[in-house]
Amino acid sequence: MTTATIVLALVVVTALAFDFTNGFHDTGNAMATSIATGALKPKVAVALSGVLNLVGAFLSVEVALTVTNAVINIQDKSGAPKPEFLAGGGYSLLLILLCGLVGGIVWNLLTWLLGLPSSSSHALFGGLIGAAIAGLGLSGVKWNGDGTKLDGVIGKVILPALVSPVIAGAVAALGTWLIFRVVAGVAERFTETGFRWGQIGSASLVSLAHGTNDAQKTMGVITLALIAGGEWTDTKNIPFWVKLACALAISAGTYLGGWRIIRTLGKGLVEISSPQGMAAESASAAVILASSHLGFALSTTHVATGSILGTGVGKKGAEVRWNVALRMVAAWMITLPAAAVVGAVMWFIGHLVGGLAGAIVVFLILVAFAVYMYIRSRRQPVHAGNVNDEWEAPATTKTLESVA
Amino acid sequence: MNNLALALDGAWKVLLASLVLGAGLPMVFAFGVRSLALGAGGSAEVDHAKGQPIGNVLAAICFLVVLAGVALGITIVVASGFGRAVSFAHVFPTLVSK
Repeated sequence: MTTATIVLALVVVTALAFDFTNGFHDTGNAMATSIATGALKPKVAVALSGVLNLVGAFLSVEVALTVTNAVINIQDKSGAPKPEFLAGGGYSLLLILLCGLVGGIVWNLLTWLLGLPSSSSHALFGGLIGAAIAGLGLSGVKWNGDGTKLDGVIGKVILPALVSPVIAGAVAALGTWLIFRVVAGVAERFTETGFRWGQIGSASLVSLAHGTNDAQKTMGVITLALIAGGEWTDTKNIPFWVKLACALAISAGTYLGGWRIIRTLGKGLVEISSPQGMAAESASAAVILASSHLGFALSTTHVATGSILGTGVGKKGAEVRWNVALRMVAAWMITLPAAAVVGAVMWFIGHLVGGLAGAIVVFLILVAFAVYMYIRSRRQPVHAGNVNDEWEAPATTKTLESVA
Repeated sequence: MNNLALALDGAWKVLLASLVLGAGLPMVFAFGVRSLALGAGGSAEVDHAKGQPIGNVLAAICFLVVLAGVALGITIVVASGFGRAVSFAHVFPTLVSK
């Protein structure tokens, strides 16, 4: 085995690990509201979401090589790596991908520990951007498109992040308001049961859309790495094992649950009833589907959070915990730069050590960090059994108003 | 066109489609639930009125509309994965290759 082959293997394993974190980080986007209202038992909800993510991942047969191409300058128009990166088995490109993925995973794990639903796509893009800046300088990043279509960091990442939660929130608020207008006069117990079915249906749709949108990103990264390493040449197709591995990784991650984030989304933001849950998930599903149909890239996390906030705004007398919302928005804003910093630092470490050892050191740092995060999470575990407990602000920020 | 104009151009289309599917369909679903309550009568409604059979018929129509909407949504996802798109050119959605 050559150095490049081992580095390639490390990239593939790290990419699948990222896909796995992507899964549990986003379970809540689809299932938090159904779990919070009791429409589905927690374990059933994550199992359903996992299966639908698996199905969704297989449905996305579109080539996703353009995912990385939108933000960093390492590929030509067809999606194949630029020739200058192919020397030495594509080592320089593989190191950038590896460090970018590590940046994404580290940020995903940290936000998971804090129970913050941040965007996995932003974490991935941030990591890649940081590693590309470190490795290639500022010109390694596509900041802006050429003006013919939405492209670059601004067009594909920043603008959608600003616009999509607002759209989702507005749709969910209107949907909630309409629903409560229509069912005025119907007994609450009757509406709760009726809307549970709508909730399960709409949440399932979000899970399916999530599988098709997010698993693709990792498939694209792995295929790009395989092309750079000379193991694959076709830019129009993805190897079947890559698709299978990514689908399994994202659905296994989804099944694991990410209970901390589910809790924040389902209990932390708004106390949710099943009509609101249905309004929120319908808005999320509609925005995600409409966007992907119209080629408007966005983060499922931003959409889901916007919807849940919107449904709190749309119901008269519902309490929205704006302090929780503000913490989340703060996390969104620093996701990209924070993951970029990690990606860049990783690249410098890898480059300094150099060669095969450099890539291995970066990988070991990731493993050490992940183990540490896991041990920290055990101090205050959140699981299927306590995910729906009454919301309390963490001890450090416990003030009168946040308890009230 | 620059990125900002392109984003706003995409945004209002997404908003329009989402309003119809994401707020419109739940409203139809709500009408369905309301009609069911009308059909059931008694404790299902706050005023405890007697059940009206027409409510069940209305409810069935509402839920069918919602199901059709969901089927359309799934078709859009699946079709795009197989290199096809759902076209609304003939008002009724039809599958076309992209």
